[in-house]
This record gives sequence, structure tokens and C-alpha cells, in this order.
Amino acid sequence: MSFIIDKQSLEDLNLTGKYKRNSIYSLFNQVKTVGGERLLEQIFNHPLSDPDEINRRSAVFHYFQQQQLAFPFDKEKIEKAEKYLHEGNDAGYIGSAIGLLKHKLSHAVFHSPEYEQLTDGLKATIDLLRKVSDYLKQFKDAENHPLMADIGKLKQIFRDQRLTDLLKESAELSFFKLSRYHYLLSKTLKKELELVFKVLYELDVYIAVSDVARLKGMGYARALPASVDCLKASGLSHPALDKAIANSISLNREQNMLFLTGANMAGKSTWMKTIGLSMYLAHLGFPVAAKSLEFSVMEGIFSSINVPDNLNMGYSHFYAEVLRVKDVAQQVSAGKNLLVLFDELFKGTNVKDAYDATLAVSQAFANYTNCLFVISTHIIEVGEELRERCANIQFRYLPTIMEGSVPKYTYLLKEGITSDRQGMMIIENENILEIIGR
Amino acid sequence: MMHFSTDQQTLNDLMVFGKPGANSILSLFNKTLTSGGAEKLADMFRYPMADFEGINTRSKIIQYFAVKKLAFPFQPALFDVIEQYLSNTDERSKLQPRESSVSEKLKGLVVADPHTKSINDGVTALRQLLADLQRFFADPDFGQNTGTDGQHPYSAEVQPMQALLQDADLNGFMEENAGKTLSYTAVAGYDVLLRFKKRDKIRSCLQAIYQLDVYLSVAGIAVQRGFCYPDAMPAERGEVVFEGVYHPFVKGAVANSLRIDPQGNVIFLTGANMAGKSTLMKSLGTAMYLAHMGFPVPAKAMSFSVREGIYTSINLPDNLGRGMSHFYAEVLRIKKVSQELGQNKHLFIIIDELFRGTNVKDAYEATVAITSAFAAKRNCMFVMSTHIMEAGDTLKQRCNNINFVYLPTKMDGKLPVYTYRLEKGITADRHGMIIINNEGILDILNKKLSI
Repeated sequence: MSFIIDKQSLEDLNLTGKYKRNSIYSLFNQVKTVGGERLLEQIFNHPLSDPDEINRRSAVFHYFQQQQLAFPFDKEKIEKAEKYLHEGNDAGYIGSAIGLLKHKLSHAVFHSPEYEQLTDGLKATIDLLRKVSDYLKQFKDAENHPLMADIGKLKQIFRDQRLTDLLKESAELSFFKLSRYHYLLSKTLKKELELVFKVLYELDVYIAVSDVARLKGMGYARALPASVDCLKASGLSHPALDKAIANSISLNREQNMLFLTGANMAGKSTWMKTIGLSMYLAHLGFPVAAKSLEFSVMEGIFSSINVPDNLNMGYSHFYAEVLRVKDVAQQVSAGKNLLVLFDELFKGTNVKDAYDATLAVSQAFANYTNCLFVISTHIIEVGEELRERCANIQFRYLPTIMEGSVPKYTYLLKEGITSDRQGMMIIENENILEIIGR
Repeated sequence: MMHFSTDQQTLNDLMVFGKPGANSILSLFNKTLTSGGAEKLADMFRYPMADFEGINTRSKIIQYFAVKKLAFPFQPALFDVIEQYLSNTDERSKLQPRESSVSEKLKGLVVADPHTKSINDGVTALRQLLADLQRFFADPDFGQNTGTDGQHPYSAEVQPMQALLQDADLNGFMEENAGKTLSYTAVAGYDVLLRFKKRDKIRSCLQAIYQLDVYLSVAGIAVQRGFCYPDAMPAERGEVVFEGVYHPFVKGAVANSLRIDPQGNVIFLTGANMAGKSTLMKSLGTAMYLAHMGFPVPAKAMSFSVREGIYTSINLPDNLGRGMSHFYAEVLRIKKVSQELGQNKHLFIIIDELFRGTNVKDAYEATVAITSAFAAKRNCMFVMSTHIMEAGDTLKQRCNNINFVYLPTKMDGKLPVYTYRLEKGITADRHGMIIINNEGILDILNKKLSI
């Protein structure tokens, strides 16, 4: 069963998107090859739901992170070789040779570029294969490398006599040899070469992602079975922010809801995004920006963060939020294990409606102890009321410290509900009442 | 003349200019036929007036044209040609005298060079314009009892047109038969006369014509839409009476009446989200804005003491890019308004749903504090909306010049229905929870648990 995450949540957490500034995907997208990028994207878009599988993959990343391997192949050569192999060659040996001859003739007569491209691609492929063959020699058969199975297969391929002969060639190739090798690589050994490329791309992804992890000092999450119902992290921060301040979180069956208060600029949204995207990365087996992170596998993430703070939408905005909450309510009540992040729910409406709605909705959700919730609001009165009503809610806040008349934010979570009442303070700082009375 | 002040936020809130292509109050009236008229109209929108006599004068002129129902007496295309022609003020562009040999004439007949042609076009267009103008003044429906009647408010504006018609230097030019082709020499002569000697006079006449274009199109809209002409009064009375005011963009809008005077210069408006608070506030603001231009307004009747400015806070944008929270943006907006108030001007202030971006307690305290500070400014008028009816209860005890009105929500079974008709008092209607209950969110969550 696939992991549930919808477009809004992906956007809230700024996860996917190659060209999006600061997207989490673009953070990890340091791969060298086009094929590597394809593979990375494929992995990135498909979180896993089996804890063993997650732990296996994160172990591979971890291994690469420690090994500090470089990706030793030339990007352009790989592209050329791949293009050459993709051009396809469906003809038999004779047909293939005739095709090549045709290209050669038209090259001689008209300077047609195809022949050159073809021979170029062929030579690049041969070069690349030599490199791969050399690269493979460094692995001893008994080595405890996580990709050992694949490496073994590649070694098998390179033991093929035809390939060894080919790689021994040193001088300029005659047309006869060219057409023979052309047939060999693009037809006879097609399947085998595809496997070679597959392993190259995997190497590319593992090296690129683990390089990012090393650079950013990231750690790895430990996946637990779904039945455990927990999320426990320490030193967790946002990987795309340079000076992100780390905080801890611990949610479980007994305390399955984190109720977050704090002023508008205090960092509530960033903390919620950090939790959401780290859980996503954790489900990929990817590195996370945390000292430690343990989590039970969830079935999906739903968020409502960042609903653009556009009050012009007024009612329709409120209604859209209500529909979003309804959607999540249906998923939650269907018994799914979800991580739900609601940031400043109902902010488009008046304070009173927002108070009533946030209170009712939070209380109703809190009963689903198989799900984890993070709910934030600036309406501190909701928190005070919830504290009376529910035992399984954890209260944290992000403080504001007034330095003279300037608010400063520490971004360090504290226990409880904020008592910051900036509202009147700001009005007083701006001297508004005095200005009117003048 | 006193200056009427406002700012960008207000213009945005009231959709005075709007974004290109989108609905705006300007585009509602912008049915001018000439681009010069459109420019004049936009200028009038940019500079509302703050003296009641000026306002009433303009209003009377528009009413006059609304009654007359005249058509614009010129071909709009003429003006582009004339403006283009007059814009070339280079002395060297005059047509040079040349031999009127037969061969030259023939050459001219076959290929007029572009320069000669453009001058010829300009002269011809002006001849057409003057002929049309003459005919217009001769029209018994217009000419006799306006242009010559010094009593009429429009007569002052007719002057530049009349001056041109009565200019003796132009007699010869005007006597030329409009259908006849002019000779090269004649064109060259008239060109010097029109484009250089009489340029300023012609320009003034064009401006008067553009102004006429504006009056005719505004009057046309007023007739078509059944707008009324507000009466402007001196500022000191501090009184505005709206009767049957509505928003011009709302189809089938419900009209409301409201009186603001020194005994109740703060309107405290409550009502649910969809009950129509913002629309009503926008209707009031729009009517006030148009009234200060001397324009017809979407209402049955209206009279008002002139204000020196109008400021609104209805659709406040956040500026999160600049690291500003919504609450802070609201505070800064109030501060801006307060600074204007601090200058002891007669202002009209509209503030919709203060302090959304904060907690209940702060919103309550801020609303009470700000509203009672406002209420002390008896020379200004305020329309304020809020959901915090407790603030209304407190204010009722503190101030005696607050007029409490609300827009009701009626329940039709489970569905809220809105009348959009103002009533006296404070309402506790809110429907956030109604929507949540209608969507059955809590039921969804509670039902499954109990199984």
C-alpha cells in the first residue's frame, strides 16, 4: 500500500520540485547523471511502508556516508554511452553492419553527422566499460558492501570473453571491428549493459545523497513497526535552513497531540514543517537533520500549513480549510495511522469562530490515539481550554522575548502555553492611542 | 480649494482603479468615446474634491446632461488625427511654398509625400471638427440655453469652444466648404494658422470637448443605472445620510439606509462572515468617494457633509515577505489612520474586522481601546465591524455616540440565510461552527470512535 501524501502537503512541506527554490528534493538532487536523477526522483516520490525495508535503505546511505566514496565516472561519457545504447539497434548482425556502412558512406560523401555520433557513442561506451571494469576490481568478493550482490553480477558480466576482448583493444578500430562491437554492445549484450547502468545510477544516488548528509551533518532515522505509534526525535532541525535551531519532539499513544502556541513570527510553521518533512524523509530511508529519530511507520502525512495568509479570500478561504479538515477527518476516522499537521487553522475567519472551531476540531481529533497530531494556533485561549478537557495533549510554545520594544524570538521550544500577549503591547509601542487622542 | 486625501490601500479596498482588465469603479464609468476624455475621467478619479460648492457644481452639470440626453456631437476618430497633428510643433515641418506649376500639381496628385499628407489630414480633421462644433452650438437642444446663459454652471466650461468659433482669424478657414479638397498653398497657409498661431486655443477647445465627453458618458451611466446625485454640505454639520445605498458590482444588491451624525458618528457593525459586512462597508466607501467627485452614486438619495479624506482598512494584505505578521500589518494600518486623525481633519474612516491575527483577549482589548479612542473624535465618521460582540457591550457603556447596527443571519433549518438588511443592535451571529457542523466533521470523528 502506498504512502498517502497529497499535493497540498507536498507543497506545504516544500518536498518535491526540481526547480523549486529550497525544495527538499533539490537539496538532495546533487546526482551527476541524468539516469541518477531519474532514479532519485523515483525513490523520492515513493516513501516506503515496511520498517525493515526503510532501515535497510538507510543503512546503505549510512554506509556510503561513512565511506566517503566519490563517483568516479565522467558524466558526459555516461550520457553519450547511454544515448548510444538507447538509439537502439533492432537489426540482425548483417543489417546492423549494413546500417553502419550506410552511415559511413553518407558521412564520407555528405559529411553526415550520424556516423560520427555513432562511432563516438560506441567509443565512449567502450571507454566507460573499461572504467567500470577497473572500478570493480577494487571490490573483494567477500567484502561487506551493501551493493555486493549487484557488484557480483557486474563482475560476472565483465568475465564474458567477448567483453574482455573488446576492452583489450587499444588501436584505432577498423570498420569491420567497429561493426562487430556495435552489434555486440547494442544488441547481444544489451540486457547486461542495462544492468551496468542501473548499478551506476544507484551508486550515483547513494553517493550524492550521502554526500549531502555528510555536508549537513545529518543522521538517520530508525523505523519501528506501525503498532508502536511513536515519534521521538532529538536535535531535529530543518535541513534547508542554514542556521536552523534544533528542537526535540516525543509523541506516542499516551500523548498523541502536540499543541503549539506562540506569536506569529516565533517559528511555529517552521517547526511544523520540520516535523512533517523529516517524517517524510524518514519514510524514504533518507538522512534527516536530527541527532536521533525513531518513528513508527505511518500510512501518510496530511498538513495544512502555509495556506497563503491571504485574508482577501475571506470566507471561501475558511470554507476551503473546513473542507480540508473534513477530508483529513474522513481519513483519520477510517482508521489510518496518519501524521496530521494543522498550522493556524481557521485563521481567515474571526477570532471567535476560529476559537470555537479549533477547540472542537482539536478535541475530536485527539481521541484518535493511533494518529499523531501537531496543531498550532495563536489563539492561546484554545490551549487553556484543551488542557482542562484532554489528558493526551502535550503543550509546547515558542517564546517571544521583548528587548525593549522589539520582539525577539529564540526558536527554542518550551513546555506550556505561551503567555505572550504581544497584541496590546504592540499597540502601545506604536503609540496609537496617544496619536488618536492628539 | 481644500484637498481631499486618501491612500493606495483605500483605493484598493474600494476598487477605485482596480487592476487592468478587472472590475473597478473607474471602469464602471469609463464609457468615454475619446482617449482625452478617458484621461480626464481618470484625473477626476484621482482628485476628488473637498469643497462642497465645487462638488455641487459638477454634480449639477452632470445632472443637466442627464436630463438633456445629448449624443456626443463629434466623430471620436477625429481627435486622434488632430492630437497627432498638433503634437508636431517643429517649425521646420511647415510646408514649404513651391512652384504651382502644372507638373508639380500633377506630381502631387499622383503621390502626395507622407509629410504633406499628414498635414493635409490634420487640417481637414480640424475643419470637420469646427463644422461639427458650429452645428452643436446651433442645436437648439444645447446651444442657446447653456452656452449663452451665463447662469448655467456649464457655461463657464463652454468658453474655450466658443472662443475658437468666434475667432475672426479662423473665419476664412471655417468658410471653406467642408467637402472641397484644398489646394497645396491653402493647406500650407492654414497649417501655419492652426498648428502654430492658434495651437493653444485649439488645445483648450479640445480639453473642453474631452470634458464634455466625460460629462456625457457619466450622465449616461447615471441614467442607465438609476444612480442618484448626492447633496454636498459644509463639513461642519458632520452628517451623512445614505438612503438605499448599494454596491454597484453586486447583482440584485440589497439597498440599506444609514445616518451618521455627531450624535452617532461611530457605526459599530456586527454580523456573521457571510452576512455582508464588507460589502456594506464598501458600498458606503464607494458612495462617499464618488460623492466627493461630484459624481452620481449607487443609492436612492444621499446628502453628506464634505470630508477632507477617506481611509479604509478592508482587505489588508499581509506582508510576510517583509517579515510582518498580519496582526502587525493591522496595527500599522491603524497607526497610519490614527496619524491622519491626529491632524484634526474631517475624515471618513472604514475599518473592517480589526485584529484578526491575534488571540481573543487581545482582539477584545484592542477593539475596545481603539474604538473608544475613535469615538472621541466627533468631527470624524467611523464605520467599524467586528465579531467580538463583548466589545460592543463594553463600548455601549463607555460611549454615547456609537450607533450599533448589525446584519442578521436567519436559520433556514440547518442552513444560514442572510437578509443583507441592516438592523439596530448587536448580534451574536457567527457561523463558523455552523459550517463545521453542516460538514459533519465532528460527527465523522465521533461516530467511528463509538463503534
